[in-house]
Amino acid sequence: MTSFQSSLGENEGIAEELAESQRQISIAEFFEKNKHMLGFDSGARGLVTAVKEAVDNALDATEEAGVLPDIYVEITEIGDYYRVVIEDNGPGITKEQLPKVFGKLLYGSRFHKREQSRGQQGIGISAAVLYSQLTSGQPAKITSRPKGQSEAQYFELIIDTDTNEPEISVDETTAWDRPHGTRIELEMEANMRARQQLHDYIKHTAVVNPHARIELREPGLDEPWKFERATDELPAETEEIRPHPHGVELGALIKMLEATESYSISGFVQEEFTRVGTKTADSIVDAFRDRYYGRELAWSPPSTRPTVTDAPDAVETAVETAVANKGAAATAAFAAGVAETVAGTDHLSRCELVAIVDTVAEEVADDTGRTFGSTVRENAVDAAWTAVTGVDGETDPAAEDAPLVTDLYALVDDATSTRKDDATVRAMAEALARRVAELDGDAFRITRDDLERLVVDAASFVEEQHDATFGETARGNVVAAVWSRSRTVPDDPPKVRTVAGDRDAAADLLEAMRETDILAPPTGCLAPITAELVEAGLRKEYDADFYAAATRDAEVHGGDPFIVEAGIAYGGEIPAEGSVELLRFANRVPLVYQRGACATTDTIRSIGWRNYGLDQPGGSGMPNGPAVISIHVASTNVPFTSESKDALANVPAIEDEIELAVREAARELKSYLNKRRSMQQRREKQDVLGRILPEMADKVSEVTGRSRPDIDGALARIMNNLSVERELEDGEVRLLVENHSNTTERPEITDIVSIEPTDVSAGSVVDMDGEWFIRWEPEVGAGEEQQLTYTVDDDATFEVSVGGVETEKLTVNT
Amino acid sequence: MTTDADARDQLIDLAAEFYDQFAAGQIPEMELPTRTKSNIEYDEESGVWTYGDRTSVRSANSVNGARKLLKATYTIEFLADQLGEDRSSTLRELYYLSESWDNDEAQFSNQDESNDLVEDLEIVTGVTREDFHMRPEESGATLMGPLRLREQTRRGEREIHCQEDVGEGGYQIPNNPDMIEFLDHDIDFALAVETGGMRDRLVENGFDEAHNCLVIHLKGQPARATRRITKRVHDELDVPIVVFTDGDPWSYRIYGSVAYGSIKSAHLSKYLATPEARYVGIQPADIVEYDLPSDPLSDSDVNALESELEDPRFQTDYWEEQIELQLDIGKKSEQQSLASRGLDFVTDTYLPERLDEMGVL
Repeated sequence: MTSFQSSLGENEGIAEELAESQRQISIAEFFEKNKHMLGFDSGARGLVTAVKEAVDNALDATEEAGVLPDIYVEITEIGDYYRVVIEDNGPGITKEQLPKVFGKLLYGSRFHKREQSRGQQGIGISAAVLYSQLTSGQPAKITSRPKGQSEAQYFELIIDTDTNEPEISVDETTAWDRPHGTRIELEMEANMRARQQLHDYIKHTAVVNPHARIELREPGLDEPWKFERATDELPAETEEIRPHPHGVELGALIKMLEATESYSISGFVQEEFTRVGTKTADSIVDAFRDRYYGRELAWSPPSTRPTVTDAPDAVETAVETAVANKGAAATAAFAAGVAETVAGTDHLSRCELVAIVDTVAEEVADDTGRTFGSTVRENAVDAAWTAVTGVDGETDPAAEDAPLVTDLYALVDDATSTRKDDATVRAMAEALARRVAELDGDAFRITRDDLERLVVDAASFVEEQHDATFGETARGNVVAAVWSRSRTVPDDPPKVRTVAGDRDAAADLLEAMRETDILAPPTGCLAPITAELVEAGLRKEYDADFYAAATRDAEVHGGDPFIVEAGIAYGGEIPAEGSVELLRFANRVPLVYQRGACATTDTIRSIGWRNYGLDQPGGSGMPNGPAVISIHVASTNVPFTSESKDALANVPAIEDEIELAVREAARELKSYLNKRRSMQQRREKQDVLGRILPEMADKVSEVTGRSRPDIDGALARIMNNLSVERELEDGEVRLLVENHSNTTERPEITDIVSIEPTDVSAGSVVDMDGEWFIRWEPEVGAGEEQQLTYTVDDDATFEVSVGGVETEKLTVNT
Repeated sequence: MTTDADARDQLIDLAAEFYDQFAAGQIPEMELPTRTKSNIEYDEESGVWTYGDRTSVRSANSVNGARKLLKATYTIEFLADQLGEDRSSTLRELYYLSESWDNDEAQFSNQDESNDLVEDLEIVTGVTREDFHMRPEESGATLMGPLRLREQTRRGEREIHCQEDVGEGGYQIPNNPDMIEFLDHDIDFALAVETGGMRDRLVENGFDEAHNCLVIHLKGQPARATRRITKRVHDELDVPIVVFTDGDPWSYRIYGSVAYGSIKSAHLSKYLATPEARYVGIQPADIVEYDLPSDPLSDSDVNALESELEDPRFQTDYWEEQIELQLDIGKKSEQQSLASRGLDFVTDTYLPERLDEMGVL
């Protein structure tokens, strides 16, 4: 399932509009309105889109059935119309399924699945059927033969454009040579102006589906164009996954909330989403509470404030006064207990105070037998809270030495730069104190959004009144400081049913899910082609000198896992003129339109290709040269730029992965090109020296009047070569292996001798019908030499072959 | 002096060396002193600057190296044949002649390449190019003064007096001055002059006659023959040599190559350089003292002066003082600028005063 999530709103729109259209406008009218969206905006394009939808369907159907795809595409001209035939060897379709698959827009087995597949909305093939019917008036002709059935079934299918209901007008058995599969025949008004795109689509499909056999016949081809299979391996089966909390949108979330069987939010997120366990659920619920209820600001206990020595603790006094009729001892113990616990905290919120009072009340009740009822506890909390916050409804909560101001002053001072002058900081603290004191209730409960607004308000007040600046960064810092000082409330989160019925609450939940760190989704739902098969696909369709491919590890974008793969083919028959060919794939479907708007193109352009040995005029843009670059993005939700799904959107996370994958393959290209260059230089050097040195030797012998010297040794040395030379003396054969290179070499040397050798040094001897194969694999270090020896009777003939060393580096002189 | 047969043997020995290297399975190579400023050293014994111990190897290990050695073998053959036939040729002729060789790879791509190669062969064989019968293109410079000599020409011996038997142009120095024998002279000192204009001024004003002076025309950077005859005049006739050039860094190098030897032919310094030669002017001090018309130093002049300060040949108190003074005043003057004081100023005033200071007159 791909773009469903990101565009679910739109699909919903289509569905609703569609439902409406059944009453108000005809499906034909709807199609007419939306055909650009569906890829049928011109006859040329319509043909390509019909083929594309049918082939994508065929591939998906065969793969789902575990069958290696064998697909036949035929386009013929019939008068003013074109007939498109697509055959596959899939599982076939039953009569019951038939209208749904081909006849009704928005039906598809993949529509509600979250896994990687080609078809994305279940809209394509039925749109093709409708397009054909609207332009030619002909029904879709479908032949299907489920596996194991002795005969095939032939149907003709027409869509009633008033009701959007498909009708099967013909249903008869027929003979078909395929043992199983589906054949669909569509007649439509079209033209072949987009032949290049059609060819690209078919060829690229073959590249990216090396396990498929594809045949194309169309009027412009003299003979059918066949793409053979490069592997018998079907792509890994994908498994469906539940949505990831980072990947849902509000509408979807509300639907899920309405449909779920869970009662609690915690149960809901664990049940309905992937990668959510108890711990993650707790984090989500906490974050949800922060948004739904807000947090409570925490204040420092009175005991931390400067006070007169030996003055009684303010909390203790307040509690003692607030408690009546519980006996002096119990009251004192209670007050002292509360005061002591409060003094032990750095800061506390009202909820925490309530918890403290409850705990102490239980303890004292256990010790003294005096019960502290809820009224008493409430009174105690109120009194103690007033002692902590200083807010009693009479004194000014924003007075210079009020507890709120003192705490806020410290926070603001910490959060802002040291260059803020003290008067501004103080004014800000006072303005904040005044505003938080006015919050509903006395718990200072506030959501982050409200807090932000409150800080902004206070800041503009300070700016106005004190002619100081309190900019965005400073405001942000203050918000962050105050927020982290506040406490999540212990209130139970609302039940699922409440949230489902409250759009704002659902939005809070969605935000909480997005803000919580959650493990990336599992990648079993993706089926990358694998680097090996990317290469095989290129190898199959491009006759090049060099191939490289890379598959990245899965990454996540917006809750959907994705994998990027890249391949490069270089040299050989690929045309050297002009820019390189770029093949773009999303979920194994070639993208043939809107190349310039695609994130893959942008990424290729941004890479410095000169560094990798490709020509790139101006150092940026599309590189030139005999190369093909293929990029495949597999995802449960490929982000496209538009509904016609021709170009990948510029999503930074995906662009980064594309770049890394391409660079990985390009690095191999670079080392290949470097090696090739150095081989070329070596060959050139060999050519030139191989010509010059004998001439020099001739001249030297002429001048000195001596016979021509043997220069092979000198030559081998010059070429940094591995030389193998034979010396024969009195039946003793010596193969001299000299390594003139600067790396260790391990040549595989086989000497084929016509007479049985004896005294063979190291090596192994095999008798093959009167010929003896002597085989050595000496390790010869840089600049070293080794002797391989054996003895034979005279008259022996030899034939040596050397492997394991590049031929350019090898000089055999035997 | 090397005989033709010796020279020929030396060349063939070098070819034999390449032969032996081939035969031993080695890459042919030729070792030469590194010919850069940093590798010339003062030779205490002879008082000239020669190549130091650093060497570079021309090896057939690379495409370029192999081409160089191939050309060397072809050139060796050519020179050996030339000596065998007692013919001679110019450096430029060698360059063109290579076009006729049967091997494209052996042809020279420009004359600098063939000139350098001949110098390489000189160094390796220890035979001068004159003894290979190779001549430079430019005509030798001239002598004017009370000197009688005998020249061995291809058309027999000639006895010439360098004042009486020559025209205004003076006696033309042959390419191989070792063919000359000095017979008789009245020379008190020899004055080597850079420019033709100044040389003509001296002759017109009768300076050679008035002071028993041998005027040697250097013609810019002096050819080897000119330097060689200067050395022979000094060594064999025992007369002081003074050098008179423009007052700019390029002219100091002319003096340097007369007195100390040039970097390119440092292998022949003992044969060509006259360390006792002294510099008359124009000195930077003269520009100041005589208030000569001058041009400002260009950037390349300044660079050349600075590079001379680092040149081991110029590391004497005298030169450091002069060069620093020149960098200081930022001016240079030509010999002819002396004419700003009148045409006779140079012969009547400047040279007598300077030579007197130097104790030559």
